[in-house]
Amino acid sequence: MDTATLTETGASAGTQNDTDSFVKVKSKKSQKRKRAAADMMDTEGPTASKRPQFPPISAEKLRGSDQMRKVAVPAHRYTPLKDNWMKIYSPIVENLQLQVRFNLKTRNVEIKTCKETQDIGSLSKAADFVKAFILGFQVEDAMALIRLDELFLETFDITDVKPLKGDHLSRAIGRIAGKGGKTKFTIENVTKTRIVLAETKVHILGSFQNIKMARTAICNLILGSPPSKVYGNIRVVASRAAERF
Amino acid sequence: MATTDMGDMLEESLNKLNVTTQHPEDFLSLQDAVATDYTSLTKTLYDLLKAQEPKVYNGSPLVQLVVKNFDEEQIWQELELQNSAVLKHFGNAVDDVLSDETVSVLLEEYIEEEAGDKEEGEPVESMDEEAEEEPRSRLKKMSDCAAEDYTDDDSDLDFDVDALEKREKKKREPAGKHSEMKSRPSELDDMFFKLSEMESFLDDMDKQEGKEQRDQNEVNYFQDLPSDEDDDLDLEKISLKKDTKSTARSSRDLKYKEYFDAVDGAVAEADEKSDSEDEDGKEEMDEEEMDDDDGDLDEDLDENKNMNRDSLKKVTFNLSGDEGSEGEDLQDIFGGKNTSPVKSESKSSYEKCQEKMSRKIDELEKAALGQKSWQLSGEVTARKRPENSMLEEDLDFEHASRKAPAITAETTLQLEDIIKQRIKDQAFDDVVRKEKPKEAVFEYKKRLTLDHEKSKQSLAEIYEQEYLKQTQQKAEEEENPAHVEIQKLMDTLFLKLDALSNFHFTPKPSVPEVKVVSNLPAVTMEEVAPVSASDGTLLAPEEIKEKNKAGDVVGVTEKTSTDKKRERRHKKKVKHFKIKEKEKKLKLKEASEAGNNQRLSKAQVKENLKKVTKGGKATILKDEGKDKALRSSQAFFSQLQDQVKSQIKSAKGQPPKKKRKEVSGSKLKL
Repeated sequence: MDTATLTETGASAGTQNDTDSFVKVKSKKSQKRKRAAADMMDTEGPTASKRPQFPPISAEKLRGSDQMRKVAVPAHRYTPLKDNWMKIYSPIVENLQLQVRFNLKTRNVEIKTCKETQDIGSLSKAADFVKAFILGFQVEDAMALIRLDELFLETFDITDVKPLKGDHLSRAIGRIAGKGGKTKFTIENVTKTRIVLAETKVHILGSFQNIKMARTAICNLILGSPPSKVYGNIRVVASRAAERF
Repeated sequence: MATTDMGDMLEESLNKLNVTTQHPEDFLSLQDAVATDYTSLTKTLYDLLKAQEPKVYNGSPLVQLVVKNFDEEQIWQELELQNSAVLKHFGNAVDDVLSDETVSVLLEEYIEEEAGDKEEGEPVESMDEEAEEEPRSRLKKMSDCAAEDYTDDDSDLDFDVDALEKREKKKREPAGKHSEMKSRPSELDDMFFKLSEMESFLDDMDKQEGKEQRDQNEVNYFQDLPSDEDDDLDLEKISLKKDTKSTARSSRDLKYKEYFDAVDGAVAEADEKSDSEDEDGKEEMDEEEMDDDDGDLDEDLDENKNMNRDSLKKVTFNLSGDEGSEGEDLQDIFGGKNTSPVKSESKSSYEKCQEKMSRKIDELEKAALGQKSWQLSGEVTARKRPENSMLEEDLDFEHASRKAPAITAETTLQLEDIIKQRIKDQAFDDVVRKEKPKEAVFEYKKRLTLDHEKSKQSLAEIYEQEYLKQTQQKAEEEENPAHVEIQKLMDTLFLKLDALSNFHFTPKPSVPEVKVVSNLPAVTMEEVAPVSASDGTLLAPEEIKEKNKAGDVVGVTEKTSTDKKRERRHKKKVKHFKIKEKEKKLKLKEASEAGNNQRLSKAQVKENLKKVTKGGKATILKDEGKDKALRSSQAFFSQLQDQVKSQIKSAKGQPPKKKRKEVSGSKLKL
């Protein structure tokens, strides 16, 4: 709009005195549209040259319907859920301002947003938290998901890495775990992750880089390298990672 | 009347005594009953005495001896009270007797007997005392009460019943034997020696010899044989006997003779003989005949007693005793050995002394000249010394090692006690495993340690801590400089104390420290630095020049082909590397200076030229001065043109001449 007027004035000026002042050359391309716009504007009327004014909408109006997430609970996690219910319940409700319940009929943990919910993202966090607990992680470890944004949960199957059957599979699981869980704990401590071994599935909780490190280590174990070698490797990688920061 | 009563009483008491002392062996043990008897006896006698005592005595104020509930010490005190009181009186009496010329002092036995008559008031007393003496004299171990009254004083008072009896029994010696010594003064006489005595002694000896012949076969049945068991008893007897002979003398008149034997055996014998003659009924006659080799004290005293009073004045040296050992000397002194029976003439003391000396000298000379004993003769093998003689020797040799501890029952017990105590205290001397101190290299980078246990912190906490570490920078606590200094001082002090006090002190591992070393020649360093500085701080030769990998330095002629090749390769590599570096630098430089667009420097031009000519792409026209063309660029270019034209022409040659437009530079200029 402004440019159109400017050009107009410029043109007029240009027609008035060619030789005296510097005449800005009008580019042909831009001229057409501007003119059209100017024409249109001119046809509407001089008063309606402002943007539409939309007053800010209140949060309530903006808020859509309550969203809900459901997390299924397998039978073997039923009792631990009962035991740790308060510990699960409190942070979701108090810190994240969500509503949570355990549907006994469907055996699901249901999380719902409500009026008090400030952050919509907290719903997914809460869902992840509960999911992590259901997978087998400790409540305190799963709580890290709520507190930190950049933590993730990864799951993979042992047979994905290498097709193993029968005794080999059992041995692979044993290698990952180690005597008394030694190897697993070592990997956890070095890579700052949490690992859950559920029969043939492996769940890792941690930040992206750490998950990668842990995954590498576990895959090496599955593939058959001895724990000592794996220790050495992860130690090197971890120290390098630590150095970088 | 009184006397008859007294006599009866005395008889009674005597009988009583005799009865109680029937079995002297009973007195070896405590006899309380007898003791009470004796006490009562003593009391009766004392009372009797007191009743009879004349006023002159000034005895003790006690009229009666109190024995009821008194112990022996107290009874003794009472008696002593009496005795000491009358002692003085008796002393005076004796002195009077001695001074009295009518009574001969020499005749001791008679004196005794006379004394017995003289001292009228005393027989009772003395009898009392005798009676008491007897059991005491016979039996040493008596119970307390009986052993009273016989004090160490007055030999004067004592009247030996034994002696009396014996005297009466053994009156062998004819009274005729008794010869009075007529003292004739001579030149040789001195305090101890009388010539007349000697002569008389010799006469006696001759007579004695004659008698001996007769008496050899007879055994004296009445002789009192001294036995070894009754040493003490005999001692008493002897002392009593001794005292009997000298009743007229007090203890002040004891002489050398009574304690020591005469030096010359013969002289002693002569004396003894004379003594025996003097004193009739002396039993010691045969005793002195007996051999005194056993050296009993009793015999010695016997003989001392036997010596005549005159011989008391004589002091003779026992020269014979010097020849033997000291033990023998003593024997001679006490035992009166009959050595050197024949001495024709007695020598003077000086002569005897000289003799002795000379004998001694001879002895010593012989010993000095003769062969020494094996102990003193240097190295001795087993053959040179008698068998098992080393066992008797006390040898002194150095012990190289400590002796093993002697294991006895005591030591074992001690050990066990210690062990028990240790177990109770739980203070075992366990061996501490020795560990080699690891030289921990200072790690610049912290090594990641693997923890095989489940982590105590949850994941959330771990990340929390990490986050905190990243965001917050904890300010280091600034230490008080005073604290720092104190800590340092304390550390050094404790290190020193540990070194002094601990047996198992291990020093602190040395910390690697950075030291600046200047690579100056040692000479300069030594010049400037003080004497105490060393050149150990300078660089080592290896640090100055790199050593060859092989280690040795080879000269030019010593190098083998491989060495040379190696060197060449090395050189090429280094050169190549340097060139590469240069090029890189140049490129960077050009890239950075592309904007500036400077003219190529002279060096660069030269280089370009070289490159071009090397490749054979261009040739350098040498400026010989002939060619005009090279003088100026216009000339050069015009010549160049001409050349090109000619070349073209030649190349084209016969093909038709085409009309060529003259190519003008201006047209070409665009």
